Amino acid sequence: MESGAHTATMEAGWGGGAAPFGASWQKTMMWIFIVTDALLFSGLLCGYAFLRQSGATPWPDRTHIFSMPFIALMTFILITSSATMGSAVTAARLGDRKKALLNVCITIVGGLFFLSCQAYEWGHLIHEGARLTGPLAGSELIEKGVNSQFTQAFFLLTGFHGSHVISGLVILIITAIRTSMGKTPAQGIEMAGLYWHFVDLVWVFIFTLFYLL
Amino acid sequence: MSETAPGANPYKIYWITWGILLVITVAMLAAETFHLPRLFLVLFLLLFMMVKAVMIGGNFMHLRFERKNLAFMVSSGILITSLILYAFITPESWHVKEASRTSAPETGAKPPEGVHVP
Repeated sequence: MESGAHTATMEAGWGGGAAPFGASWQKTMMWIFIVTDALLFSGLLCGYAFLRQSGATPWPDRTHIFSMPFIALMTFILITSSATMGSAVTAARLGDRKKALLNVCITIVGGLFFLSCQAYEWGHLIHEGARLTGPLAGSELIEKGVNSQFTQAFFLLTGFHGSHVISGLVILIITAIRTSMGKTPAQGIEMAGLYWHFVDLVWVFIFTLFYLL
Repeated sequence: MSETAPGANPYKIYWITWGILLVITVAMLAAETFHLPRLFLVLFLLLFMMVKAVMIGGNFMHLRFERKNLAFMVSSGILITSLILYAFITPESWHVKEASRTSAPETGAKPPEGVHVP
């Protein structure tokens, strides 16, 4: 009796019913995870703002360091992979398993392309003398105005984002294998999609705040 | 196959969003090539960045189709925390900049090779 009253009180005050956000518990938990992960990137971007605002020397011109068409290509690949992921979710909801699988596979290919581009960009910059601690003495990057704050911000921001792309790809590959075996419900593809779109969302901020501004 | 299953958004939503995102990205890159006043350029880029974020969150992540309280929890949680963090960090960064400026040696001597002085 007492236990029943306690449960009723809990449900009235804190329970929020079966679905407080009108969403399944899986989706609610995924959103909570995404919010916390977004706060991680928010902290990193604020750290980048701190490095940039506190530097006594002017921030280097990114167009002299990066190939902007190449960065645009990376953005295009990620946006396209998000669209194919969305199509996969719709196909899964409609019960079209083959189309869902095809779109998940296209998304994986897009993610691999993006990661390859990022690896190339890292390799290129490291070859030019960029290190996490700053540019190497005597490297061309110093002439371009690159300082330690810039290399730290670059490696940390793109590195954290890249690690999210890698984990997103692992999730997508597992989803694709399970979908091909008919073991992933539509909601499983939707959860994988939510994470992938989040990776795209973070890139929008890094692209604008680090590469363009 | 109809696109009326529960929870299924039409395919065209994703591809229209993709097209708009692409146009905005090209516009942002093009804005860099024009010699616009710095303040105008910054505002333009920040505005379009937010438009892109809203489109990805709303259409790709389906927040537009979820309950309003979920969308509110997600967007306000991230935005308000980020703004508070930035608001606290900015005066500190100015302080560090000022401190490094006042403590810099006035001899004009170059630092040792490979050592970066901010």
